[in-house]
Amino acid sequence: MRLSRFALVASIAVALPLAFAACKQEAQKPAAPPAVAPAPAPQAAPAPKPFRVSSIELGNAIGSDKRVSLAKTTFAPTDTIYASIATDGQSPSVTLSARWTYGDEGQLVKEDSLAIAATGPATNEFHISKPDGWPAGKYKVEISANGAPAGSQQFEVVAP
Amino acid sequence: MSEGTKKPDFSNVQSGASSTAPPPKPAAAPEVQTYTVVKGDTLSKIAKHFYGNANEWKRIFEANEDVLKDPDKIFPGQHLKIPAKA
Repeated sequence: MRLSRFALVASIAVALPLAFAACKQEAQKPAAPPAVAPAPAPQAAPAPKPFRVSSIELGNAIGSDKRVSLAKTTFAPTDTIYASIATDGQSPSVTLSARWTYGDEGQLVKEDSLAIAATGPATNEFHISKPDGWPAGKYKVEISANGAPAGSQQFEVVAP
Repeated sequence: MSEGTKKPDFSNVQSGASSTAPPPKPAAAPEVQTYTVVKGDTLSKIAKHFYGNANEWKRIFEANEDVLKDPDKIFPGQHLKIPAKA
C-alpha cells in the first residue's frame, strides 16, 4: 500500500510537468497562416473618356492638321474664315454644328454640320467665305455637339 | 427704311467642314440568316422557329420570292434567307 501511494505521488509528479509542457507547447504553436487573400479581380477596362470640345480657334488659313496657322479674331472682307475645333474623348458618332451669325441681332450667315466618329483627340474645321466680300461688323460662331452648346467665338470683319 | 438698317445678303456664302477624325460607321445592315429546309418543314413552322410567330411566314416568303413561287411548296435541301427578327 505504501508503495502504491508512492507510485501515485510519483506518477502525478511526472505527469503534471508533462501536461504543463504540453499546454505550453500548444500555446506556443505558431499561429495558423492567414488564409490566402483572393486574387484581385482583373481590372475592368477604363471607361472611355466622354467626348468634349476642348478649344475653338479662328483664323484665315489652316494646315493639313486642321489647325489655324495663326489664331485671330479680326478679318479682312476677302478672308476665308476658319473655325478650328479641337475635340477629345470617344463617341461612335458625334455631330458637330457651326452656326455663323452677324451683328447684334444674330442674323444667320451660314449653318453647317459635320458627323465624326470620335476616337480620341481630333481637330475639326468649319469655314466660310463670301465671293463679294464680308460686310464689316461683328460676327459670332457657335459650336454645338449633338445639339448641345459646346462653345462660341466672336470675331470682327474690318473694312480695309 | 434707311440704308443703315438694311440687312446684308449672305445667300452667296460658301462653306465647308472637315475633320482629322473618321466619319461614323454606317449602321450595320440587318443580319440575314440562311436555313436549309428539312422534310416536314413549312414556312409557318420555320417562321415559328425563328420569330416565335407562325404568322410571320410571309416575311420569309417575300425574302425568297426568287426561289419560291408558291408558299406551300418548299422542298428539303432548299436554302432560304431568313430576314432578321423585326
